[in-house]
Amino acid sequence: MSGGPRLEQRYRRVLRLLPGYYRDRWEEDMVAAFLDSWLTGDPDEDACILEFCRPTWPEIASVVALAARLYLGGAGAPRRYFAWGQAVRRAVLAATLIQATRGLDILVRTGWSRGLLGWLPAPPAGIAPGTPGGMLPPAAWYLVAYAWIVCFVALALGRYRTAQVIAALAIVPDLARLLQEEFTSAFQGPSLGPWAFWVLVNLSPVLAMTAFHRDAPPAARRPWLLALPAGYLLVYVPVIVLQATGKSAWLPDFSGLYCVLAALACLAHAPRARSRQAAGSGVWSLALTLLAADAGAYRIASLTDYLNDPHLIQVSLVELLILVAAAALVTPDAARAQAATPATPSRPYPGYPGYPGYPG
Amino acid sequence: MTGQAFFVLTALAGGPRHGYGIVGEVAELSQGRVKLKIGSLYGVLDRLAAEGLIEPDREEAHDGRLRRYYRLTRDGRRVLAAEAELRTATARVVRARLGLSGAEAAG
Repeated sequence: MSGGPRLEQRYRRVLRLLPGYYRDRWEEDMVAAFLDSWLTGDPDEDACILEFCRPTWPEIASVVALAARLYLGGAGAPRRYFAWGQAVRRAVLAATLIQATRGLDILVRTGWSRGLLGWLPAPPAGIAPGTPGGMLPPAAWYLVAYAWIVCFVALALGRYRTAQVIAALAIVPDLARLLQEEFTSAFQGPSLGPWAFWVLVNLSPVLAMTAFHRDAPPAARRPWLLALPAGYLLVYVPVIVLQATGKSAWLPDFSGLYCVLAALACLAHAPRARSRQAAGSGVWSLALTLLAADAGAYRIASLTDYLNDPHLIQVSLVELLILVAAAALVTPDAARAQAATPATPSRPYPGYPGYPGYPG
Repeated sequence: MTGQAFFVLTALAGGPRHGYGIVGEVAELSQGRVKLKIGSLYGVLDRLAAEGLIEPDREEAHDGRLRRYYRLTRDGRRVLAAEAELRTATARVVRARLGLSGAEAAG
């Protein structure tokens, strides 16, 4: 770090949040602009400001937002950051897809149990969707589940801001319920599992949606949109069949389902990852590794739900083992994500070092 | 083009400015409605420089630090003029649909 007044040093510390290539271009300018925003021209007052003032929280927040956009790069970003940006965007789409298929399941169950899907046979017992309860009526929880469908479709269609707002609103009711149960001691057992669900399944994708900024290339719209009905048919129709035939005991909980789905995605991608030839394979491997890490962390945290049931603990550990084994097939390929990323448009920087005609 | 980029280009259309000078000019141009944070400003400047719409003009020493001034490039002027045309045309359509005359809109 270069010397200088304390305020300057504090700004330089904040700017360390930014990637090195970006600091090389802009750090000196940014520090000068930050200091200009404080200084008054009065030598005594400025001496006090430079010694005692600190970067404000809104300034720090603007640098954090800039850092997130740069590390999760879009078109024109250096390969490494573009690869991370693409991987996070795909992991978020996959996580939101899981939420959306769950929402579609609740939509079908609600319609079926209320006789709105007349072309289906009579609904089996127990088809009506359950809700977490709390202060909200069931209809509100159904709306929250449907919101994830809208959120996913908006993301796939490139309506990033809409998706971000809907997702941010959709996770609020569950947070309110958790806080209410925490303060009224309403939890039947340890509260780690429900909180892990909120943090790892709800909050993480919402935060990671930062990767969907205006430089983010659009997702492959058609495959992602088709994945929603396909995911429903492949995952939740068998679930309904098992429930209808009295074999509910075979069904994993949501955490187990998340593990199994992430493991299956890793297994499906493993041949491409191992061939190391397909372009873009590394980015998918990185995306699936992120998804598997999230699913695994949730599975571990939700083990506390079954502290009194050794059989379910064993089942959960088997699910975790399957996930780890499947993720191990793709994780080595994730390391070459940046090399496999297709080239992005070059970004000349007029007037900067390396650009023709740079004054020197 | 985002509103922030439009205001930054407009600020530089009046002549070269350094980082904090752009922040002040944008606040004045927008009558205080757009208050650029430094992090946001350099996100915009980075993008505009990458697109070849702005370039460094000169560096000046000020209180022991170097201030780098930026100016519009020829492409920057062209893009800003096209954006201004588009916004003017859009505003004209909005006025017409709301039944506002030029005088009412101005007042």
